[in-house]
Parts: sequence; C-alpha cells; structure tokens
Amino acid sequence: MRPCVLMQPQDQSVSRVAIQVEEHPAGHAKVTLEGRLDSETAGPWWRDLEKRLQARPITSLEVDASRLDLQGGIGIALLRFIQDGAMTPRASVTISGLSPTRQKIMEVFTREDFRTHQARRPERLSFATEVGVVTRAMLKDVGEQVTFIGAVVRAVPGVIIRPKRLRWQEVKRVLESAGANALPMVALFSWLVGLVLALEAAHPLAKLGAQIFIADMIGFASIRDTGPLVTAIMLAGRSGSAFAAELGTMKVNEELDALKTMGLEPVRFLVIQRVLAAMLLSPLLALYAMAMGILGGVMVMRFLGFPPRMIFHQILGRVQVGDLSVGLLKSLLFGLIIGGVGCLRGLQTKQGARAVGDSTTRSVVACIILIILANTLFSAVDYFLTRPS
Amino acid sequence: MTDRPEAIIEVNSLTAGYPGRPVLEQVSFQVYQGEVFVIIGRSGSGKSTLLKHLIGLNPPLAGTIRIEGVDLGSVRGRDRRRLLRSFGVLYQSGALFGSMTVLENVRLPLDEFTELPPAAKDFVALSKLKLVGLATAAQSLPAELSGGMQKRAAIARAMALDPRILFLDEPSVGLDPITSAGLDELIKRLADDFAITFVIVTHELESIYRIASRLIMVDDRSRAIIAEGKPADLRDHATDPRVRRFFLRQPDSDVAVSPTQTL
Repeated sequence: MRPCVLMQPQDQSVSRVAIQVEEHPAGHAKVTLEGRLDSETAGPWWRDLEKRLQARPITSLEVDASRLDLQGGIGIALLRFIQDGAMTPRASVTISGLSPTRQKIMEVFTREDFRTHQARRPERLSFATEVGVVTRAMLKDVGEQVTFIGAVVRAVPGVIIRPKRLRWQEVKRVLESAGANALPMVALFSWLVGLVLALEAAHPLAKLGAQIFIADMIGFASIRDTGPLVTAIMLAGRSGSAFAAELGTMKVNEELDALKTMGLEPVRFLVIQRVLAAMLLSPLLALYAMAMGILGGVMVMRFLGFPPRMIFHQILGRVQVGDLSVGLLKSLLFGLIIGGVGCLRGLQTKQGARAVGDSTTRSVVACIILIILANTLFSAVDYFLTRPS
Repeated sequence: MTDRPEAIIEVNSLTAGYPGRPVLEQVSFQVYQGEVFVIIGRSGSGKSTLLKHLIGLNPPLAGTIRIEGVDLGSVRGRDRRRLLRSFGVLYQSGALFGSMTVLENVRLPLDEFTELPPAAKDFVALSKLKLVGLATAAQSLPAELSGGMQKRAAIARAMALDPRILFLDEPSVGLDPITSAGLDELIKRLADDFAITFVIVTHELESIYRIASRLIMVDDRSRAIIAEGKPADLRDHATDPRVRRFFLRQPDSDVAVSPTQTL
C-alpha cells in the first residue's frame, strides 16, 4: 500500500510565499504576503523580497501579513527582523495583520538582543601574546609530565611488593590487542624495510664488488635501528593512541572521578598496567621485527645468488650480542615512552567528544617525536662510547 | 470530549523492541494535534524504546507508525527528510554538540536546511533562545551551562525548524524541582503559543499532573499499554494494581518487605 500523503502538497506554488509590492509616491511601499512561511519557504522568500525591495528609495514600508500562514517562530522572527530594518535600513517599517498572540510573541525579540548576543568573531592576539600563551602552555605541559612520571614511579614499589594488586587481566588484554594483533603489520612493515634497504644497496655495492656486505648492513640496521624503530612507530600509532582514547573517554564520562572517590588512584589502577604491557611488548615485537627485516635482506641476497651459508656466516660474524642488547634496550625505552605518553595524554583530556580526538593526536605526535629523539641520542652516545681509540 | 482534533500520530499494532527481543507487542494509540501526550512506565518498561520507534531511529518489528498521515516505516528519500523535519527531539542528556556555542548549536539545523542569509539565521536562532529564556547564554559552551539550561538550549535546538511535534525523552531527569517546574511551564507555553504537539516520556509524577493532557502507561511484563487516560482520572479511578502503585508511589510487594522487617 502506498503511504497517503496528506500534509505535504507536491505543488510548488502552494508552498511558496506570494509577494506583492505596491509602490506609492513619497517613498511609501506596501508589501502584501500570502502563503505559508516556514523553514522550507523562508529562504527563497527572503531572497525574493530582498531583490524586490533593493534599490528602491523607500522611506516607509508597510508589511501586510494578514494572509500569511505563519507556522511558527521562524516566520515571526523574520518579520521582526524586517521590522528592525534588516532589509530597509533607512525606512520605518510596520507589520500589520498579525493575530494578538503572534504580535505578542514578536514583541519578545528585540534588536538589542540581536546586537548584544550575535556571534562575535574571535579577537586576534598579537604576536607577543601568542608566543607568551604558547610558552606558558608548554611549560605547564612539561610540569604535568614530570608530575606524571613521579606518580608512575611512586606506584611501582607498591606493585612490586604486592603484585597481586595489579590487575593482570588488564595486562593480558593489552598484550593481546597491542601485541599479538600487531604481528602481521609489524611483520609486513619490517620485512619490506629490510627488502628495500638491501635492494637500494645492491647496485652501489656491486660497483665496488662488495655486495656480500649487504649482509652486514642488513644485520646491523635491523637489529640496532630499523627493528626497534619500526616497532615503536607502529606501537605508537596503534596502541599509544588507543591508550589515550580509552583513558580520555573514561575521563569525559567521569569514570576517573569515580575511581578517585573510591580511593583508587587512576595511575595505579589504569596506567601501570598499560605502561608495563607496553614495556613487555616493545622488545618482543622488536625481536620479531629484526628477524623479519633480516629475512627481507636475505631474500634479496639469495636473489643475487649468494648461498645461504655464506650469508649467515657473514651476518653472525659481524653482529654481536652487544648490538642486540642495544636494540632491545632501545625498545624497552620506546615502550616506556609509548605507554607513558599515551596514558598521560589520556589523563590530560579536557571535556567533550573533540577533546578525546585531540588527546589521541597529541599522544601519537608526542610519542613519535620522543622516540626519534631518544633513538638519535642512543646512536650518538653509542658512537662516542665505542669509538676505537 | 466528543469532537477530537485530528490524530497527528497514529500507532497501529506496533511491536517495539529489538529483533528477537520484543519489548512491547501489538500496541496501538493515537496522539492528537496540540495535546501534551505523556508516556509513563517504570524504569526499563520500554518507554524510551517506544520513543526510538516513534522518531524513526529503530524500525518497527511489526505494525505501522504514521506521522501526519505518512508511514514512517516506508517513506524514503526526500519525503523522509521532510517528515523528519516536521518533528524535533530532545534527548535525555540534551545531546548538545560540546564544541559549539549554544547559538551555533541552535543555528546548525538552520544552516543545513534553510537558505537564509547568515544574519537572518542568527536572528532566528537568537529568537529561539529568547523563547526558552537563554539569549544571554548564546555565546557559552554547553559545558558552561547548568543542567536545566542545557535542557532548555536543547529544546531551542529541537525547535529550530519550527517542528509541529516535539518528542522529549525524560526532560526533567536530573533537575531540581524548581527548575523542573520551570521546564514544565515552558512546555505548556510553547504548546499554547505555537500549537506544538508534545510527546513526552517521563516518570515524574509532579510533572505529569502539571502538563499531561493525556497519558499512556506501558508495562514490560505484559508487553502492553496497561492504562490510557487523563492523569487525574487514572490516579483516582484506576483499578489495575500496577497503575495504582505507580500513582501512589508504592513499591512492589517483593521489595517492600526487607528481611529486617520480617524478623
């Protein structure tokens, strides 16, 4: 059965407001309106009327609304706006033909309200003020980070003394979602990075007749740098952001306040688990990423015709346990950064849905910057420490 | 009352709920033009579920809902958008957009659905805020308002496009008695001045007596409407014990007697 349409006239002429403008001498004009004025017809009607009144030397305007079907507030408000001179700023305007109730409603809106409360453009700050505001925000942020690190460190002894109080269920959940589920992506990424590095090096080294050293390079790069770094960037994007969003939403929903009033510190109850999980995960995933990176390089070398025994002999003869421990140590630090920053940004969330999005973005940006900085620092320190004298 | 005005909402043998889990079965009722129609029931009785069907968020499991003669379940495209514009909804939490000012919240439907110039839209939006007594808060963010003010701002937004029907989901929840009474006054005034039909889900007895012209009571155990009529009539003459208990604020017999009292 087709739905019967009773109230929706399909005929366009019915749902449009008819405008009749009579111009009298001495700048007097009379506008007669007829039809239904509602949210749908208001726009075309307004434009039409504006066009017809434009460029006429009107000093007094009379609007006859007696045959106007006013559906509700929009029509009344627009009539009031016209009365206040929205269309004819220099004319005196009278609106006639409204019922007493409509008239009363129309009296409620005033030009004063409009002037005082209409949308204001935000004022622009001077350069100096802006620098000051940004600097103060940065200093405040540093302060909050220091406080946060303090709170995390203070919570650690409690966990060591009574490990049962840590909610291991939560750690397990994070390990699964941030670790096991990330394996395919980490594998693909590291394998391709290893592959590309080897391919890029193949031609230049061939000119020197030193293609066998691709093995050294891939071994060093994967274990000391690309493995930990790729893992960390992946973790920051997948899991640091998730920590920030989880904790941010909890804050917006007042769940954090609920924890505090129950006497539970959010840091001990929510943060420690995530930081711990991230620190456990990061080296494990990095180990996996190193293996996949080397695999990518080995595949290229096999393609170039080197026998497997030769490749592995070359790698194992060059890469030492010290290199592996540098890589793993880095990963551990990256895990701490990701867990800590993700949770901190979550706890710093302000109110509203957009705040959660802001925290997530801030967490990923801060994590990646800190990771790159830490990595550079590691390389620099290592270079000077292991310099042959 | 013999000569009823025409029914603006007609619900026929509606089965409400979620697939495989009906909450109300085969319910029928009408809402008439210009009345303040209240849906009552105990917590979890399916009031809000019923409302979700009435505003088209959930499709009916069976039966039909007609708003102004148009079947909400089968209308599509442009006609559906037009139908949706004929009513406004106030959600339980207000659901104001937190990142926009109050004025921007009210202006949003006008921006999206009308072709008025910006100044005229501002004027209309402000006039709506003035109607609910909130013009002074136009530039505030929703988070800066009290609960009652947020509700009023949300009503102003729901009214932005001059709907003929307003659905309110528990408007007085979380409000103090004075603010709640003020909100009831506002509802009555809007119903009178603009001939808006109100459909209100609530369980506030005070509020029901103040504003309801007619009400239905839904019950999840019998999955049906167990009472329909004017609030005072139901309070004084209802025979159904479940309805009487609701109006007399009596607890269920199974929770009324605590173990300590039986000792």
